[in-house]
Amino acid sequence: MSAAARISPARIAEMLRKELRQIFRDPQLYRILFIAPVVQLLMFGYAVSTDVRHTRTFVVDHAGDPASRRVVEALTAGGFFDVVGRSMRDADVVEELDHGRAVVALVIPPRFGADLAAGDASVQLLVDGTNSNVATVALGQAEGILSSLGVTLVPPTVAGTALTLPIELRDRAWYNPDLKSRDYNVPGVVGVLLFLVCMLLTALAVVRERELGTLEQLMVTPLLPLELVAGKALPFALIGLVDLVLVTLLAVLWFGVPLVGSPLLLLFATLLFLLPSLGLGLLISTTSKTQQEAFMASYLTLVPAILLSGFMFPVASMPPLFRALSLLNPLRHYLEIVRGIFLKGVGLPELWRAHLWLLALGVTFVGVAAARFQKRIG
Amino acid sequence: MNLRRLLAVSRKEVLQLRRDRRSMVLAFLLPLLLLLLFGYAISWDVREIATAVWDGDQTPASRALLDAFWASGYFDEVARVGDEAAARAALDRGEASVVLVLPRGFERDLASGETATVQALVDGSDANTATIVLAYARAIVLGYGARVRLEGGRPPLPLTVQSRVWYNEELRSRNMIVPGLVAVIMMIIAAMLTSLTLSREWERGTMEQLASTPVSRAEVVLGKLLPYLAIGMVDVAATSTVGVLLFDVPFRGSVMLLALLSFLFLLGASGIGIFVSAGSKSQLLATQVAMIVSYLPSLLLSGFMFAISSMPAPLRAVTYLIPARYFLVVTRGIFLKGVGIEVLRGEALLMALFAVAGVTLAVVRFKKELE
Amino acid sequence: MGHREERSDEAISMPNASPSHDGAPAIAVHDLTRNFGAFVAVDHVSFEVGRGEVFGFLGPNGAGKTTTIKMLAGLLAPTAGEAHVAGLDVAREPEAVKQRIGYMSQLFSLYGDLTVEENIIFFGGLYGLRGKEREERRDWVLRMAGLEAARARLVRELALGFKQRLALGCAVLHRPPILFLDEPTSGVDPLSRRTFWDLIHELARGGTTVLVSTHYMEEAEYCHRLALMNRGKLVALDTPPALRQKLGAPILEVRAADAPAAVEALQAEDAVRAVGLFGRALHVTVDEAARGEEAVRRRLRDAGIAVESLRRIPPSLEDVFVALVQESGGAMVS
Repeated sequence: MSAAARISPARIAEMLRKELRQIFRDPQLYRILFIAPVVQLLMFGYAVSTDVRHTRTFVVDHAGDPASRRVVEALTAGGFFDVVGRSMRDADVVEELDHGRAVVALVIPPRFGADLAAGDASVQLLVDGTNSNVATVALGQAEGILSSLGVTLVPPTVAGTALTLPIELRDRAWYNPDLKSRDYNVPGVVGVLLFLVCMLLTALAVVRERELGTLEQLMVTPLLPLELVAGKALPFALIGLVDLVLVTLLAVLWFGVPLVGSPLLLLFATLLFLLPSLGLGLLISTTSKTQQEAFMASYLTLVPAILLSGFMFPVASMPPLFRALSLLNPLRHYLEIVRGIFLKGVGLPELWRAHLWLLALGVTFVGVAAARFQKRIG
Repeated sequence: MNLRRLLAVSRKEVLQLRRDRRSMVLAFLLPLLLLLLFGYAISWDVREIATAVWDGDQTPASRALLDAFWASGYFDEVARVGDEAAARAALDRGEASVVLVLPRGFERDLASGETATVQALVDGSDANTATIVLAYARAIVLGYGARVRLEGGRPPLPLTVQSRVWYNEELRSRNMIVPGLVAVIMMIIAAMLTSLTLSREWERGTMEQLASTPVSRAEVVLGKLLPYLAIGMVDVAATSTVGVLLFDVPFRGSVMLLALLSFLFLLGASGIGIFVSAGSKSQLLATQVAMIVSYLPSLLLSGFMFAISSMPAPLRAVTYLIPARYFLVVTRGIFLKGVGIEVLRGEALLMALFAVAGVTLAVVRFKKELE
Repeated sequence: MGHREERSDEAISMPNASPSHDGAPAIAVHDLTRNFGAFVAVDHVSFEVGRGEVFGFLGPNGAGKTTTIKMLAGLLAPTAGEAHVAGLDVAREPEAVKQRIGYMSQLFSLYGDLTVEENIIFFGGLYGLRGKEREERRDWVLRMAGLEAARARLVRELALGFKQRLALGCAVLHRPPILFLDEPTSGVDPLSRRTFWDLIHELARGGTTVLVSTHYMEEAEYCHRLALMNRGKLVALDTPPALRQKLGAPILEVRAADAPAAVEALQAEDAVRAVGLFGRALHVTVDEAARGEEAVRRRLRDAGIAVESLRRIPPSLEDVFVALVQESGGAMVS
């Protein structure tokens, strides 16, 4: 490239002004930029809950004595289980679970009270495993409640000496003491939204110019590809930061998610994260001829990126190959940082590796996109 | 209604689809990708939990309990720590997701019949994983305690719980997800492919040409639906086959019933796709609208991944309006529970209603837009 | 389209003085070639364009006109050959070339969601115009395009003719010595087209070199020189009168009962070089007038087509165009 091809801040500023003008003149873009993030946050904040409470429970109580009633009471007391039906026939259990009207069935055998007094009672718990997640958690909850109940139900006089549990498990959950899934999911939404907005809108903005033929007009002016890219990406980076503030405020003030760590580090990490997001958007724009194509390509990138990010499915549960692959996913690293800052309050000493990954991926994506851009035009 | 004209519209649609790389990707590659990701890559199953151990007792009893943890297959020892600060650091850095604390005097308490305590410090940030980790830990500790009691010649615990899991006996999340994927893939076909079909003709200006021929509105709509129905059914068959053969998802019900109800659902969903398409003059707009009104709600509010019972009441009310919710009951019922029409007749009725409504809406809207 | 009537108007716009050819040429192309895979879009094309010249590019769709212009404007890299624009090698110094050229393509390419004035200011900024100079040029473009009253209107609301003039204005904001126009008037009504060509000649009189491609024969007549391309090759290059002269072969205008059938019948005749349909009449290029006339009459009689009239006419540019394209292998299908 000759000496004439020096990057000019004035030209970038000119591009920026034009882009911002177009963005704020487009009513549809407004919606994508500001309304969609809020709606999605609310949707995810409320819909995406893995908390298991109020599990629908069907009770078959053959005993019908005070002891069996105590069992049912204990089970429903904490709000974990709701009794939705009772019967005296075992066959009804099949019916209820088949229809999906109940997820858990508790079967108490006849002479339960007497057995308990003799120190040798048992109840049966039948669980619909269709939703493996709900089933695992509900089983744990029920077993915990019932086994500690057994000890308190038996009067010491029967047992001879005071009965105690051999071992007791005391649990303490750090960072999220109430184990609210929302506290985990909402910071994750921040990452997904930023990723979506930056990648999709950058891709669409560049491809729209190609579709309209204005890209060609720009390329015959002295505007350099790098200036064009900067002018296209910067407005969306700015918008991404506005979205970050908007969504973070909503998360903290509306959903009450704690922000334990440093907001400054969050901002810094977000700036790093914008790099690969915008880079991917530019990369998509170099492979798409129409906005429709760019939209599809973005969707096809987003789906695996979100699924392999740990947003909903833990990275630790992936097989080694996919765990390794997920390292190339900027969203995975950003989510690690965001959750670390929001919930754990940790800082760079714990998160430097994720930051480095973001930087490396960002430089790579932007570099490849710029090279492809140059080639397409040249 | 003229069958020959209807088929002519279908044939044209197939020719265009076959040449459109993007559509072929969506129709066949995306379902495959999703199946692979959900089948192989991701799950909620918690295995090999990274565990740090803080053994303050260092006795045969404490070691025996830890062995019970490792033998379960759920827990993996990754570090030994000696104090609270080290435990905290392991969790902070994300090296361990749980720290097992066996305090000094564990063996003594256990032998004397006092209640011995074990502590689990769990990284609660991922509430779901943490809850499952604690459930596993509790079960192991209880089992170990009962064994110690028996070996010590003392009476067993007064109340034991015998639990049995039905339908998905090994509690694999894959068994829950794959039948749900059938519904999700259909929503993709309906929302992202079918929604393009009319808007493409609007955008390219070929609609006027089409409208000037004797072909009727209903023939256009049905003719355009046919290829997508075929693609959808192929995808359902492929997804189910791969799910059962490759991922060992049980299939306990009737294939015919699944095919029939899938067809009804697909008809309704594609009808909605065409409904959106009829009103969108650009393909980009059509995809976006279809995503927002049918695809995303089906993904999030149908119970595909997130249990409806865990949602707040207003949102739970909204889910009743989402057809995928009912279809999910159908697929899981047929795959896992092996139930038949006697159980699913309510859902079947709703699917039929949805199909009629979808196609009618599409034809009516299309008529209106042409005028 | 009645080409004959429009041709009679040519003296109104056609400048009398031919441009100077002295000094270094504004554009010099030597063996320029561009392949797309196995397809040769532009095949060893060579020509020169003098300063201040209005140089026309003619040819059917897919002949390689747009590809050639894109290479000259630095939008496409040549596969082989050389092209110098304003004395600069386009392959080696595309960025320096861009500062010296204006470019306007067949696709209308300004921003519809910006106002007239915002578009001008934006492109002015990209070309490095600042402050007072930018304002002067803006006012000049507004005046030139007749958009002074519509300066605050969004561009997408303008009529196509105005959009075209605005696009031209934006392309010459920075006073480029060389201007590339790729089918600038396609789809514009005849009146706007005429106004547009007046602007082009005004620019040329001011010393701007204009290379313009077009489909319209009456526009070709406005050019100082014409280059005819077909199948990637340059098949003719001369002034319009010389081109007409060059087609030594006589042209017969034939009116027959069934014109399409007559075209088909005559294409099979050896004595006929080319046949074109012009409205209801056929223009038949033959080797020699008398024998050609006889052959045409015989062939049509054999085909059972009644001849209403037959006379010899002077060749138009369109005749030249049709004859040259058919001689060079006919137009490409795609």
